[in-house]
Amino acid sequence: MTKNTGMYASVLGGAALVLGVAYGWTARDYRGEELETLSETLRQLEARNATLAAQIAESDGLEGRIEELEASLAAALQAVEDAQLAAAPPETAAEAAAAESQDTTEVVQTVALEFGDPARGEEVFGQCRSCHQIGQGAEDRIGPHLNGIFGRRAGMHDGFRYSDDMAMMGADGLTWELETLNAYLENPKALVSRTRMNFAGLKDPQDRADILAYLRQFSASPQNIPEAAPTAQAREVELSPEVLQLVGDTDYGEYLASECKTCHQQDGSDQGIPSITQWPTEDFVVAMHAYKRKIRPHPVMQMMANRLSDEEIAALAAYFAQLE
Amino acid sequence: MKLNRRVFVGTGMAAATSLSAPMVHAASHGKPKVVVVGGGAGGATAARYIAKDSAGEIDVTLIEPSRSYYTCFFSNLYIGGFRELDSIAHSYGTLASDYGINVVHDWATGVDRDARTVALAGGGSVPYDRLILSPGIDFVEGSVPGWDVSAQNAMPHAYKGGSQTELLKAQIMAMPEGGTYVMVAPPNPYRCPPGPYERVSMVAHVLKANNPSAKIIIADPKANFSKQGLFEEGWQKHYPGMITRIGPDFGGENVSVDPEAMTVDIDGEVINADVVNVIPAQKAGLICGAAGLTEGNWAPVSGHTMQSRMDENIHILGDATNQGDMPKSGFSANSQAKVAAMAVRGALTGSRVFPAKFSNTCWSLIDTDNGVKVGATYEATDEKIAKVDGFVSQTGEDAALRKATYEESIGWYQGITSDMFG
Ligand SMILES: Cc1cc2nc3c(=O)[nH]c(=O)nc-3n(C[C@H](O)[C@H](O)[C@H](O)COP(=O)(O)OP(=O)(O)OC[C@H]3O[C@@H](n4cnc5c(N)ncnc54)[C@H](O)[C@@H]3O)c2cc1C
Repeated sequence: MTKNTGMYASVLGGAALVLGVAYGWTARDYRGEELETLSETLRQLEARNATLAAQIAESDGLEGRIEELEASLAAALQAVEDAQLAAAPPETAAEAAAAESQDTTEVVQTVALEFGDPARGEEVFGQCRSCHQIGQGAEDRIGPHLNGIFGRRAGMHDGFRYSDDMAMMGADGLTWELETLNAYLENPKALVSRTRMNFAGLKDPQDRADILAYLRQFSASPQNIPEAAPTAQAREVELSPEVLQLVGDTDYGEYLASECKTCHQQDGSDQGIPSITQWPTEDFVVAMHAYKRKIRPHPVMQMMANRLSDEEIAALAAYFAQLE
Repeated sequence: MKLNRRVFVGTGMAAATSLSAPMVHAASHGKPKVVVVGGGAGGATAARYIAKDSAGEIDVTLIEPSRSYYTCFFSNLYIGGFRELDSIAHSYGTLASDYGINVVHDWATGVDRDARTVALAGGGSVPYDRLILSPGIDFVEGSVPGWDVSAQNAMPHAYKGGSQTELLKAQIMAMPEGGTYVMVAPPNPYRCPPGPYERVSMVAHVLKANNPSAKIIIADPKANFSKQGLFEEGWQKHYPGMITRIGPDFGGENVSVDPEAMTVDIDGEVINADVVNVIPAQKAGLICGAAGLTEGNWAPVSGHTMQSRMDENIHILGDATNQGDMPKSGFSANSQAKVAAMAVRGALTGSRVFPAKFSNTCWSLIDTDNGVKVGATYEATDEKIAKVDGFVSQTGEDAALRKATYEESIGWYQGITSDMFG
């Protein structure tokens, strides 16, 4: 029951996001007064949604109520948009209407087709289903449910217990977007070193593209995916075998590591800053390259990794792997 | 700097190969001797790394008058009520017991560079093959007219750790309702560029809770300061109306004080204050000048090895140096110490020497769970330590990120203090 509530809260969150996005997107051209009226409307709607959510959480007929709520949210959204259109000066209205007519769903579909095939993605998703649910009634299982995953902050979906590393990546700013999901699916440990997700990764870019197209159908605000432009290029940590096989010079690693130890404690304490002692060499190498390529968030680590050569990363990995 | 050229053959990995050691230590006295003056961020780190990595091949003596080192880093958090004073005190016990460092609690009063000995206030002298100086800062006399060190009890600087920090906090807690705290901020360069502004944040934090009608005035000779946008955003958000900063355009550089009357004169306007925190202009710790190693206020060094530009047997670290682009911070001093330790071991025992790399990150706390940071990486050129890359927290970051940043600073504090003291 608590899990259910969590999930509905997240649907609500997604819907509120739609409101916010649509509002921000259309309202940009309006003058202050109108903007104020509209924000007021929005606030009232949000308050109403919150009340409805509370009622729903208590109610038994959850399924029915959530549909009601969704309908009411859709109506509310429409009302805000109508109000905005009505308030717009004539030429802006025309522009807005023009923009509206290329409707988001259409745009997204085109992009989705170019980016991946959702039908095939559904098949590929088969291997994820033992842990992750998606779609109506999806709940958290071994892994969190994936409704509304796009735009969700990593490690912050209420009610699910994440690994410390996932929670930390979320706090550092990792948000699930096309490119971060793509990198995570390719090699989960590249992005989140000690993720609980026990999955080797999808090496085939087409598999990932398809699965992402499938997942995206269950996210409330597809227009909120900046990377959804047809030209979007996913970044990846694809390391050549030579880089992965470099044998590090532990003496050099020891000197380089003295810089790491200002923050990362050798004894493995990890308050506020994770321990890196005794990391498997390959995880270390992949993680550092992910920082270097700025796929992992965190400005200090991006900066530190940025000036390390492949040999230096190998030297550090070799040193930390053997450190007691 | 012949030694430099000998040690650093080329750059990059080429230099990362073993070198035949110059073996400069005097034949007469067995193991090579390293003396470190100052057991702070630079000195404690250097002593520990040399002792640890030479595994008994080098004799290390650390000269430091205090038995407890109170870090300046996190001293502002003590003022803000986020840390106990005890939690920022560190003893030299482990350096002596686990690393075999000979810790001498005394002042160094002079250096005989020809005889290679350091004179102690308690009498006697200590010989060295290599000397490392990391004495931190002292204050430039007359930089704030009306103030000198004899006035530091009436108008504390709290810019060296320990009793001064405690005194300043006691004065702030004793301020009358609606009272006035004035900070006289220092001109560049000085230790910990964001330090005065983090302090103002922490003073505001305690006053907001205990004395919300109190006022904070900063008289500042600098047009801009470190993380300015972040601090100003935070002050606006957490302490609206409490903090006034008077920059040089409004006479903030034209300040004198009267410690007896407890007044501050800012460009002709006299303010009656309850607490006056004078942070004067700074210079290298006195021992550097006494040893003839300064040029102007600071001691010039080579970034490759942290060797004094005036004496290749002496390495100087941390706040006292003029090295180039690095800010004067504990993180910087710790980073420089590791480069110096490697160079000293290389020179004395022939251990491998790699190209110098430096880094720095300074965290500051603005209010509960609202941490920000600024950092950069550096490398040595022949002229100076030059900045390579950097970052700074952004205004408008969300609460989760700011909290994570604060928590990271706690981890860093743990990390750097165990890196210094073992
Ligand atoms: C309020 C404040 C906040 C700060 N916050 C941060 C921060 O968050 N992060 C950060 O990285 N840095 C911070 N700093 C800066 C940091 O404290 C200094 O940059 C750092 O301590 C410099 O290290 P050092 O080795 O040069 O000098 P110190 O750490 O000051 O050590 C010098 C030591 O030398 C000893 N000494 C001096 N003269 C002699 C002598 N003649 N004989 C024997 N011993 C001697 C002194 O007793 C002292 O213990 C802060 C500073 C202040 C004031």
